Amino acid sequence: MNWADLHLMPALPEIFLLSALSVILVLDLFVSDARRGITYLLTLLTLAVCAGIQIATSVPYVTTTFSGMFVDDPLADIVKVGMYGFTAIVLVFTRQYMADRGLFKGEYFTLSLFALLGMNVMVSASHFLTLYIGLELLSLALYALIALNRDSTSSTEAAMKFFVLGALSSGLLLYGMSMVYGATGSLDIVQIGKAIQGGSGNTVLLVFGLVFIVAGLSFKLGAVPFHMWVPDVYQGSPTAITLMVGAAPKLAALVFMIRILVQGMGPMVGDWQGMLVIVAVLSMAIGNITAIAQTNIKRMLAYSTISHMGYMLLGLLAGTAQGYSAALFYAFSYVLMTVVGFGILLALSRAGFECERLEDLKGLNGRNSWYALLMLLTMFSMTGIPPLVGFYAKLVVIQAVVDIGMFWLAVFAVLMSLIGAFYYLRVVKHMYFDEVQDTAPIVVRGDAKLVLSLSGLALLVLGVLPQGLLELCLEAMRTSLAAL
Amino acid sequence: MSFSAVLFYILSAILLVSAFRVVTAKNPVHAALFLVLAFFTSAGHWLLLEAEFLAIALVLVYVGAVMVLFLFVVMMIDINIEKLRAGFWRHFPVAATVGIVMMAEMILIIASPEAGLDSFGQAAPAVAGVSNVKQLGLQIYTTYLYPFELAAVVLLLAIVAAIALTMRKRKDTKFIDPAVQIAVRREDRVRVLKMDVEKAPAKDAGSSEQQQA
Amino acid sequence: MITLTHFLVLAAVLFAISVMGIFLNRKNVIILLMAIELMLLAVNFNFIAFSHYLSDTAGQIFVFFILTVAAAESAIGLAILVVLFRNLNTIDVEDLGSLKG
Repeated sequence: MNWADLHLMPALPEIFLLSALSVILVLDLFVSDARRGITYLLTLLTLAVCAGIQIATSVPYVTTTFSGMFVDDPLADIVKVGMYGFTAIVLVFTRQYMADRGLFKGEYFTLSLFALLGMNVMVSASHFLTLYIGLELLSLALYALIALNRDSTSSTEAAMKFFVLGALSSGLLLYGMSMVYGATGSLDIVQIGKAIQGGSGNTVLLVFGLVFIVAGLSFKLGAVPFHMWVPDVYQGSPTAITLMVGAAPKLAALVFMIRILVQGMGPMVGDWQGMLVIVAVLSMAIGNITAIAQTNIKRMLAYSTISHMGYMLLGLLAGTAQGYSAALFYAFSYVLMTVVGFGILLALSRAGFECERLEDLKGLNGRNSWYALLMLLTMFSMTGIPPLVGFYAKLVVIQAVVDIGMFWLAVFAVLMSLIGAFYYLRVVKHMYFDEVQDTAPIVVRGDAKLVLSLSGLALLVLGVLPQGLLELCLEAMRTSLAAL
Repeated sequence: MSFSAVLFYILSAILLVSAFRVVTAKNPVHAALFLVLAFFTSAGHWLLLEAEFLAIALVLVYVGAVMVLFLFVVMMIDINIEKLRAGFWRHFPVAATVGIVMMAEMILIIASPEAGLDSFGQAAPAVAGVSNVKQLGLQIYTTYLYPFELAAVVLLLAIVAAIALTMRKRKDTKFIDPAVQIAVRREDRVRVLKMDVEKAPAKDAGSSEQQQA
Repeated sequence: MITLTHFLVLAAVLFAISVMGIFLNRKNVIILLMAIELMLLAVNFNFIAFSHYLSDTAGQIFVFFILTVAAAESAIGLAILVVLFRNLNTIDVEDLGSLKG
């Protein structure tokens, strides 16, 4: 290898992120607790600069570097910018919450940035090795973030469960990767795709490996039948960390699946389509039905996440460029809905009080009609009521499965969203038609209030004008998956 | 049977027995020691596969560092073995069934003629004078530069996370810095409050009440 | 003659034992961590065996990185275990009652 061949430009955002992370890690040692806001501002600044570099260096074609292990394509660009944005929003929302609980420490920011770096690596990976390391970087940072509230039994318990099941799923994924390596003789996604396309791969080993890979991926995504960690982790973690786990990582997980299944094992679409159909159907059914029985709103949103992952898989399993971009659009709108929903729970929590029971939302309209309206928008969007973004997201993924002739699956998805409407609308009923139980004033920092309002309105704006984002997703998919 | 075949079967027997004991051992310390044995025999297998560097790394990194960490934690934590074992036999039928079915399925697939593993044949014998360590080193620092850097980041993350989770200031010492004690000023310890008179003289009690209202 | 099949079957048995261990020791977190180490060992066997019989070093390099990451993983896992133990004074998962599993 010639050092002059080492093009660092495509990886510039990651390099900057890592450098800034190290600087923040060291600087934070010299910052007293009272002035922790400096670390917070530096972290937000880092995210802004990363997004700036990402946009400035984006090119409308695929570039690879580091011996083909790092790929920078429009898909990676759009998802990374989204992840910077969502991480920044999460940090703004969680500032007061973490400060109230004595968790507003330097590690919170460095670990969040480590997680973000891991997601970036996953999104830009074109080699099994970088996929795996990126995934572990994300997972390890998340385990630590959950356990950061170390005096809370439920947090450390959630971290332990997440850890054991996460490590198990990494094991499954790696076992599958090893079989694919044996069958194709390569670890590079592009080479694997070529080997399978050319028919030189060993089919039995490939399918055998694929089963393990799909199982491992479903685990990471939190799809049924590998979903048991999701409710416990969502409920057990501090709400701020739940938001961190539930937001940007879902985007990264989708791109991770696209890289392995579509780019690597695309010619085997017939094999993984069947497996994903089972996973998607079970996720939609079990997620929506179990959510009805929940009294804890974090647990309810966890089951709702499981069902949303099922809907997102509908787009992926379609196996068409439209389908993939529909799944990406779904992921974006899902993360936006999650951010607003949990943002309101964070706003309603205060020192010594966690807003996590459904009853805590009773009469919210009487206490603060603006937050009630934002929560109403989120719940309607999650249900899939026009003109909110959740409606369009469901529409495009269902359109994708109709296009490939799976009418029964489309009908099933619609039926399940009707069941889902029950528990989402129950939240709305609590907010608007029940007596106030908790009369404490709602105190939210100005910046969080502003961002929360803007994100809530984005649900509406994107719902009315979805074309821009939809076309961006489709264009990115078309360019990145040139084979399609 | 060739010497390497005999070696393979002996090592495999030890490996499988110790792996089985890891998951069934009564005492976590025994389990950890059986895991050490499993790693040692695996290193032997890897030598058979001509992966010398990894065999050494397994012994150094796993047996030398990771397993010591495990043993350290096992001994640091006061474990109630009886309590941990409760329910072991309750889970046993399910676990054994799952394990055996899984094992049978995996072996049937891997060993079936359709899997086509026979086509791999025998590996080309290693060329004398070519060092496995050198080969890996050349690749890791060139082709695999990016994952290598990332591995460093993962290790940094592990350091940050482990310290963030477990380091605490000790609370059981009553040590006080004498300099701090000497430097104490009156204002740090005593606060003189200016207060209104608690009970107003009787004659203007009414007016002071009005003022408060 | 020792063939690739021998090594893959050995790894498969190891993998099945570790899965059995995970089912068997649902209450005992420290053995769970060890079972996960065994599972990674099985994966490493696969990679090294394929690497040898394909005469390709990529598999061995993957194992090198799995070893590194797994070491970091067990460090964090044990840190969480210690923190959990401080809170519970037990590593019995059954006592983890506050979350319905």
